[in-house]
Amino acid sequence: MRDTFTGNLVALFAVFAPLSLLSFGGGNSVIADIAHQAVEVRHWTSARDFADLFALSRAAPGPGSMLCALIGWKVAGPAGAMLATVAFYLPASLLLFIVAKIWSRWRGARWHQAAERGMAPIAAGLFLSGGVAVLRVAPAGAAAWLAALAATAVLLYWPKLHPVPLLAASGIIFALIDLLGAPL
Amino acid sequence: MDDVRPTVAEVTLAGLFLAFLRLGCTSFGGGTGSWVYREMVQRRGWIDERAFLAEMALGQSLPGANGIKMSVLVGRRLKGGVGAVAAPFGLLLGPFVIILLVGAAYARIADYHAVHVVLDGVAAAVVGLSFATGISALGKGAADPASIAVAVATVFCVGVLGWPMLPVMLGLAPVSIGLAWARLSR
Repeated sequence: MRDTFTGNLVALFAVFAPLSLLSFGGGNSVIADIAHQAVEVRHWTSARDFADLFALSRAAPGPGSMLCALIGWKVAGPAGAMLATVAFYLPASLLLFIVAKIWSRWRGARWHQAAERGMAPIAAGLFLSGGVAVLRVAPAGAAAWLAALAATAVLLYWPKLHPVPLLAASGIIFALIDLLGAPL
Repeated sequence: MDDVRPTVAEVTLAGLFLAFLRLGCTSFGGGTGSWVYREMVQRRGWIDERAFLAEMALGQSLPGANGIKMSVLVGRRLKGGVGAVAAPFGLLLGPFVIILLVGAAYARIADYHAVHVVLDGVAAAVVGLSFATGISALGKGAADPASIAVAVATVFCVGVLGWPMLPVMLGLAPVSIGLAWARLSR
């Protein structure tokens, strides 16, 4: 029993730590790999359960990739949840910290400034792209675009507004439209 | 030498941890990087646009979840090595506990159609948060024509055409850095 437990923890680490270092573009980029490992390779969850866990990780606050905590919990309880989370976030964070430390050594050099300023518009463009990518697959279609653009305008107009009331309003409006029987 | 505002020195370690703890518990709908921007740049003013974008660009060229990467970088910039541990720890602690609690209750709430409709509405508004972040970051940190052209090219390739982010970045980065170099040389 003890051996299976330890084996499960080792397996969780072996799956999530490499994916941490492969998640270029963010946690979402390896969701498909996590699904493949959890469902087909390791048989930790059924495909149906995985879809539920995924939906759940979207509904809860925090990074979407907290999905790994749910899978860890299913495999090995609280220890599994903790280990999967650490395995998924620690390697990439450590790498980033080391690179940031080396990078900041050259702060002030002109090529360093050029690199930071040159990368800035790409970073801004990636925020916008992330939004477009979500809307393209949004089940609510035009209503989602409308809500997204309205939220954009409100957030730009009031830079200090906390986003949560706005999100709640959008959720409630969607529910009301749905209640009235309009197609979303 | 640079027009970057100095970052706020009086942020305490506990304050940093608590700010990220609160951020973690309230950042619904994904896009955690945008939430970090909203809270740290726009609401608290602990870091300015240009510095945030520079950190973000570094983070984007490495693997990892975006929100966590930004917490490591903002924590490091404000409080050094301990800050780089405290910020992501704070950001993850709340969601970790919450997701396990919600996980235990989910079987009972998943069947309600209304739950999914409300979540769709929340997700759509979060896209607005990403848009607002991209637009205001561009407006305040990189408002010259060359930068805007680079941002538009990024959105077209990654957002519209759906190309993978990394090759697009590798293609656009040398052009954009070259343009920035030319601007600095003037």
